Amino acid sequence: MINYKKILFIYFLFISTLFSHPHTFIDVYPTIEVKNAKTETIHFEWVLDDMSSSMLIMEYDQNGDNVIDKDENYFIYKNYFSIYETSNFYTEIKINDKVQTVEPKNFRTTIKDNRIHYSFDIEKNYETKNLTIDFADKDFFHAMILKKEFVNIKGAKAVVNGVDNDFYFAYRLELKELVK
Amino acid sequence: MELYSQFIKQLTLWQYELNSYISTTIRSINDENTLSSSLLILAIAFVYGLVHAAGPGHGKALVAFYFTSNKNDYKKAFKMGYMISIFHAISALLFTFGIFFILKSMFRQNFNELSQIAIQISAVMIIFVAIYLIVHAIKERNLKEKSEVPRSKSETAVAFSAGVVPCPGVMTIVLFCIVLKQYLLGILAALSMSIGMGLTISLAGILSIALNKKASGFLQTKTYMLEIFGGVLILLLGLFLLSSSFNIL
Repeated sequence: MINYKKILFIYFLFISTLFSHPHTFIDVYPTIEVKNAKTETIHFEWVLDDMSSSMLIMEYDQNGDNVIDKDENYFIYKNYFSIYETSNFYTEIKINDKVQTVEPKNFRTTIKDNRIHYSFDIEKNYETKNLTIDFADKDFFHAMILKKEFVNIKGAKAVVNGVDNDFYFAYRLELKELVK
Repeated sequence: MELYSQFIKQLTLWQYELNSYISTTIRSINDENTLSSSLLILAIAFVYGLVHAAGPGHGKALVAFYFTSNKNDYKKAFKMGYMISIFHAISALLFTFGIFFILKSMFRQNFNELSQIAIQISAVMIIFVAIYLIVHAIKERNLKEKSEVPRSKSETAVAFSAGVVPCPGVMTIVLFCIVLKQYLLGILAALSMSIGMGLTISLAGILSIALNKKASGFLQTKTYMLEIFGGVLILLLGLFLLSSSFNIL
């Protein structure tokens, strides 16, 4: 027999658990070089969707030359990008399930094909064994999209999966040793 | 919860595709294909609204909770869904055109600040609606009367309190159209998207009524208990919204 009380309860829980839906879609392009089972370089590029980009370009490109110069880049980092620090830049790097703090370096904003590109490096050498990198905005305002074709790995094999985190979904990147 | 996160993932991917399809189509408009492309954009915007509102949000939660105590009226649920989406669209259009043409700069920052204020207004209104519903239920119980006291005022208040927060999804499309100087298309796309969202929000209320009917022993026995239950859920929703809005600031 169907338990409608249970269904009703789950229904209320479902519509109450999150209070936003994605409004900005970000394609994530990771480029990672691995040497001796350790990450040598980690570079991320975020490409924002066309509509969000057009809104941001109006604000970012203050002199309207369609190029983000040094001052504009600093302004963007300070006012728009650094606020993601509280969310670990939507990038959860874990080693043996222990979350590492993300510290972006060499932050750069560019405009290509009407879209905003953020790029940055993580200057850490992590052991690739039991290393996972999850991409997600737990508040669900941004949708981080990771496709296998976005990933560029040297010295290891990339595996892209989806992860169920109870109340949100994340894309997970794992690095596997190359079979010789 | 795997089913839930798979559902969220699928909704996200659909929105991702639709979002990209809308922007590509708007950019492709030229003198020769204006009508066909515009109609296509309105159709996609409707589907986008339908899917966009299917993700969890406070509008649907409010409607669902409200209709725990209004268990027979599917028409009212439908009407309220559309009232919320109309307020949502008007609010989004006013915010977008206001920020773009009056404030003229820092769209994202102004939008975030104004949205925050709108969320706080919405939360306070939701709390007042909840208090009204609870007090109404208690008074009714004391008077031992049947429940058909006019509720249209509270319905409008519920719809307004949820709809006053502009939908960033609608605003993004409108702004994108403004940037490309497609002003009328922007307004029509906002309306089309809102019609889609209204349908989904209405369905949340209708589903709430249908489930309540099925779970008859649980909620149907005493009208005042239902009203208090719905009121308390709405109160919690309002308090949650208010507290989260201050955390974000």
